[in-house]
This record gives sequence, structure tokens and C-alpha cells, in this order.
Amino acid sequence: MNGIAAVFRNELRRILTLRPVFSVMVLALAVYALLYPQPYRGEALRRTPIAVVDQDQTVASRDLVRRLDASPDVAVASALPDFPAARRAVFAREVSGVLVVPEGFERELLRGMASPLALYADASYFLIYQRVALGVSSVARTVGAEVEARRLVGLGVDPTIATAAVDPLRFTAIPLFNPQEGYGSYVLPAAFVLILQQTLLIGVGLLGTLPGAAGVRCADDGTAMAGPFATVAGKLLAYLALEGVLAPLYLVVLPFLYGIPRLGGLLPTLLFTVPFIVATGALGLVVAAVFRKPLDVQLVMAAVGLPFFFLSGFAWPFEAMPPVARWLAAPVPSTAAIDGFVALGQLGASLWDVRGHVFTLLTLSAVYAAGAVLLEARAQRAQV
Amino acid sequence: MRRRRDLRFGFALVFRREVGWLRRRPLLLTMTTAIPLAVMALLTLLFSQGLATRLPVAVLDLDRSDLSRSIVRTVDATPDTRVAEYVADMAEGRRLILSGGVHGLLYLPRNLERDMQAGRQPEAVFFYNAQTMTAGNLTLRGVNAAMGTVSAGIRLSLRTAQGTPMEEASASVQPVPVQLAPLFNPTLDYVFFLLAALLPSVLQIIVTTTAAYSVGLDVETPHRLRILRRLGGGLMPAIAGKMLPYTILFLIILGLADTVLFGLLGLPLQGSRLLLVAGAVLFVMACQLAGGLLALLLTPMASAVSIATLVTAPAFGFMGIGFPRFGMNLFSQWWGALLPGTWFLTLRIDQTIRGAPLDLSLRPLLILAAFVIVLSLLVVLRLEGLRRRAEAPARRLAEAVA
Repeated sequence: MNGIAAVFRNELRRILTLRPVFSVMVLALAVYALLYPQPYRGEALRRTPIAVVDQDQTVASRDLVRRLDASPDVAVASALPDFPAARRAVFAREVSGVLVVPEGFERELLRGMASPLALYADASYFLIYQRVALGVSSVARTVGAEVEARRLVGLGVDPTIATAAVDPLRFTAIPLFNPQEGYGSYVLPAAFVLILQQTLLIGVGLLGTLPGAAGVRCADDGTAMAGPFATVAGKLLAYLALEGVLAPLYLVVLPFLYGIPRLGGLLPTLLFTVPFIVATGALGLVVAAVFRKPLDVQLVMAAVGLPFFFLSGFAWPFEAMPPVARWLAAPVPSTAAIDGFVALGQLGASLWDVRGHVFTLLTLSAVYAAGAVLLEARAQRAQV
Repeated sequence: MRRRRDLRFGFALVFRREVGWLRRRPLLLTMTTAIPLAVMALLTLLFSQGLATRLPVAVLDLDRSDLSRSIVRTVDATPDTRVAEYVADMAEGRRLILSGGVHGLLYLPRNLERDMQAGRQPEAVFFYNAQTMTAGNLTLRGVNAAMGTVSAGIRLSLRTAQGTPMEEASASVQPVPVQLAPLFNPTLDYVFFLLAALLPSVLQIIVTTTAAYSVGLDVETPHRLRILRRLGGGLMPAIAGKMLPYTILFLIILGLADTVLFGLLGLPLQGSRLLLVAGAVLFVMACQLAGGLLALLLTPMASAVSIATLVTAPAFGFMGIGFPRFGMNLFSQWWGALLPGTWFLTLRIDQTIRGAPLDLSLRPLLILAAFVIVLSLLVVLRLEGLRRRAEAPARRLAEAVA
């Protein structure tokens, strides 16, 4: 027990005094907290600019363009004379789509025929294409429904029945958990978990490879004061103590400051933090033993952050990946942790709902901690 | 004879020395070859199956009528969605969504068919998980399309039942249809698009951090920089000889990845290959120079590597691949503009899936060139400054003796 306490104190002191470690585990977290969310502060794409080529130039076509411009999704940025000019504007990234209102648009409507519009949307970016297509079709649908209701009323149908005939079966889609469908609210809770994992991994990797990693020794004979098990336990407790302060700031306070909706309670998130930190910390100890040099840790871990994010099945669902991806993803703590933290925080799930992830993290903790103890035992034998 | 050749200073000597370093330092070699290739192989594997299809949704059918069953069948038949579970109440559906078993719940209320026929406009509701945006949006698209199909069918049959001719009836279903034509990317394949953007993003991190490391090796010991300069027989050949081995390696890596993307996976390649290659060379050089400059400015080398990581690791979000740059705040737009990757990806998208006119792609290319020129100047200035500082004590000593 004495050994654990000594290792714990020593490790905590090293975290706070070794400059590279402190920079990664505390300063980098602070910088990322400010920097990372910036691109997503706007949350949603509003008023995506499009160009209109109005070949009809009638009351009906001008009314349609006005209504498009008034819609929340798209903005009519320019009226261009022909399609090639509009296409060039899309290439130059001035607008993200071209709506062509063909000649005879109003005439066809008055004749009671379908009067199609042509929308050429920039499909090279997923989000833009989706917004433009959605924005224009919903305006067209509203205009269409009004035209249709007017026609029916004109035929002598009762106005209430006419409305029902236009839309006999209503359909509503309700987004759960991220009601504004904000991009930041989607990306950030997951990204914060990954940032915590990467800084902890690099930090522990540096602690284990920088001078002084050999551990606490007795003053008189220089033998290790703690056995391999006590050393690993003491270190993991030190990481828990530090991250016990940082993780709630990162996973609860920070999302709150950025206005990300949260349904879950505090306690499940805090409890879930424990296996996540232990698994990540123990993996860090293994990483340190494998890489042996601080720069190796820094360089390799920098390169794997982005792949880890896509491997977690959050941004890209597992259903779309080959089955082997799940096997590759499982050993990385962030895979279970991202899904678990998001379910507990943003979806309001209970610990029981995410028991699978808790189990995964506990298993990873046990396996990596056992590995760390074995590697520590080997290192201590080598020193004697 | 051999000695004489070894003594010939110049670009080639520095180049050979750097290649020798690469061979003797396993970390450097791994970082420049095995790691980028492994990361690229992993990402390619993740995205190799294309867009997610047939995502599971749950159904709460309280009507159990012909209409509700035909809705369920249509939802199951869309390419985006499949009906994986029938639930008995909302609580069960919620649990399924929370555990990640399904991405949404379609609620069909009691008396749906009867109310529809009576003109009471009943409402079907789809609750979907918007927290996981990709999957949520895909399931919404599927259910939306299915409901549109069912609803159009109903309206059509209501009208034909009243004796409206078929042609007129179908015109009345959607008086203002939107014929949606995607400009470029006709198959709407975002998967490979994302992959094509991810690879340079990973490379940006690796090139910058390894450049900081390899230059840092020379900066760490004060005399090494002088030796390097002597070996090169001048400043310019020394810098060129130091950088070029990595430039070549990274371009080979990028070339390999692109061969897989555009050759095997069939991503459209509709632009100028010359522009793409020129852009890739400038992009790799800009990242190398940025990493090298950091190593010249910051000691110990670990700090340079840390700062390089701190800037490049979160860069993906700023480059506007997921969330477009015009939707960002001003700070993010400027921060993104200062990353070489932003302009390389712009050029890459322009000259691969878009097939943009060449004159429009010159701008990102010129910006990349400007990066290289400005960063080279800064590197030269800093090296000169370091030399003067190193020589000052020696000169003072010489003056004192004199």
C-alpha cells in the first residue's frame, strides 16, 4: 500500500512538473477546447447561396424566386442570364446551385399541367447538396400544394376537403436528441472524447519514456519501492485523479458552454469516465513500453488520431463498414467510449442501456493493465 | 580516389546523408512509409463498402391496416432503410434507439387508414436519431421517400377514383416537380470523396511533424547546422538536399494512395493531372517547410513536434470537407486559409470530381506557391540569424585576442 501511494505521489508530481507532459495533458486540452469547436459554431448551414436562371420572367416565376429567397435554407445570390454563366459561378464557388425556371412555367401551371423546375446542385459537398435540394424542393412543394388546392377550389370542391385531398396523409419527421440538427452538436461531444483519449495517451506515453520513468526507489539501496502491480496501480490512480478533474470539465462543462443539448444526468457520465480513463491510461503504459522514446510516442500518436475518430463508428456507421472494421476498432478505447458518452450525455441513456460499452471498457482496462504489469515486471527485472 | 569523391560538397552529398539517416533511423523510416501507408489502408478499408444502405429502423404500427402494412413494406423496400424491429410501445422503441439497435422509429397511429379515407389528414411520425448525423439523415431520407411514394399513390387513386384522367391526375400530384440534377459527382458518391480528402489531411499531419523531427535533429546540436551548410556547399543546396528525400517519399506515398483511389476504386478524375501533381508537390513542400520552420524556431525539438501536432491534428474540421467553409465564423475561415491542406483539397476537388475550368484552379495553386515562397524566405532568414548568433562569440573571441 505504501508503494502504491509513493508511486501515485511521484507520478502526479511528474505530470505537473515535467513540461512536455503538462503541455500535452493540460495546456493542449485547453487550446483544443478553444480551437476545435470554432468551425462548427454556426451549427447549421443557413441561406446557402444559389443562382437563378429565370427564363420565364412572369408573375409566377418571380413569386417563386422571392419565396425561395425568403426560405431559411437557400438564398438567391444572383440572377444570371444563362446556364453556362451560372455553372461557372458554381465552379468558382460563388453559388452552390442553379435553379432554372423554364420558359412557359406560368403557362403550364395555368393550364393545369405539371410545371417542372430544374435544379442543378453542387454535389461535390454532401451537406451543401442536401441543404440546397431540401430547401428548393420544400418551397416547390408548398407552391405546388397551393396551386393544387386553388385548382380544386376552382372546380367547386369545399376548401377544407381540397386541403385534405392535397395532403391526405401527413408526415412529420422529428429529430431526437439533437433537435436543431446542429453540426457542432453532432461532432463535438464525440470529438471531445477523442481529444481526451489522445492527450492522455500521449501524456502517459511521455511519462513512461522521459527520464525518471523507472519509478520511485529507496534512498539507500536504489531498489524499486513498489512491485510491478503496485507501480501500475499507483500510476493508474494518478491518471484517474488528474482526469477526474479534467474529464468532467471536458465532457460536461465544455459542451454546456458551447450550448450542446444534454439530456443525461451527471452521475452516469462520471461513473463511465472511470473505466474509460483506466483503459486509456493502461493502454498508454503499454504504448510507453513498446515505443520507449518520447518522440516516437508523439509522432505515431499524432498520426493515428484522425483514423481513430473514423474507426469509432460515430461519423461513419459500422453498418457501412466491412465486418473486420469492428474487430480493428474494438481495442481502441474511444470506440466504446464515444458511443457510450454520447448515449449517456446527449441521448439520456442509463448505464444499463450502455452496459455493452461498460463491459468493453472494463475488459480493455483489465487486458491493458495486465499487459502493463507484465511489461513493468520485465523492466524491473532488467534493471536489477 | 573514393575520398576525393566524398569530399565534393554540394546538394548530392546532403541528399545522400539524409537518405543514410532515413535508413539508420527506424522511426523516421516508419513515419514516412509504414505509418502513412497503414493509415491509408485502414481508411480505405473503412470506406470501401460505399454508402451505408439498409439501415435498421423500428416500427410502432398501432393501425395494422392495409395502409399501414403497405407503408411498412415501402419503408423496408427503400435502399436506405430496412424495418428491423416491430415494437409494442414507444418506450420499447426509445430503448432500441438508445442502445443503437435502430436509428429511428416510425409511428403509425390507430385508425390511420380510416381517418385518411375520411379526409381527416392523419399524421405518421418518424422519430430519428439526429445525434449520429450520417445515419440519422440517411434513414430520414429513406422513410421520407417511402412516405412520398405511398402518399402520391393515395392521391393518384383518390383522383382516378373520382374519374380524373390519369395524365391530369399525375400532374396534380406534384404541380411543381423539381428535377434534381447533381452538378458533378453524378453518382452522389460521398464516400470516396471523403476518402480522397482524408488522405491528404493525414499526410498534412505526418509531413509537418516528421519535417519538424528531421530538421530538429540538425538543430539540436549547434554545430550540425554548420556542418550541414558546409556539406551542401551553400545554404540553398543544403536545404534542398535535406528536404528532397522526404518530398520524393511522400509524393510516392500520395501517388500510391491515389492510384488505389482513382484506379481501383474508380473515383472520377476529370481534371488536369498536371495541375494535380503540381499542387501535390507544392503542398508537400509547404508542409515540410512549415514543420522545418517550427524546428528552427522552437527548441527542444519535442516542442516543435508538439506545436506541429497541435496545429495539424485538428485541421480537418477547418478545411471545410464536412462542414463547408462559407458556413464558418470569420476566425475559422482565416485559420483554414492559413493551412496548406485547405488549398490543396480545393484544387484536388476542382480537378478530380468537379472538372473545373483550369483558370479557376490557378488560384489555389498560386496560393500554395505563395506558401512555399514565404515559408522558404522565413526558413532562410531564420538560418542566417542562427548562423550570425553562432558566429558572434567566435568573432568576439578573435577580436579580443587581436
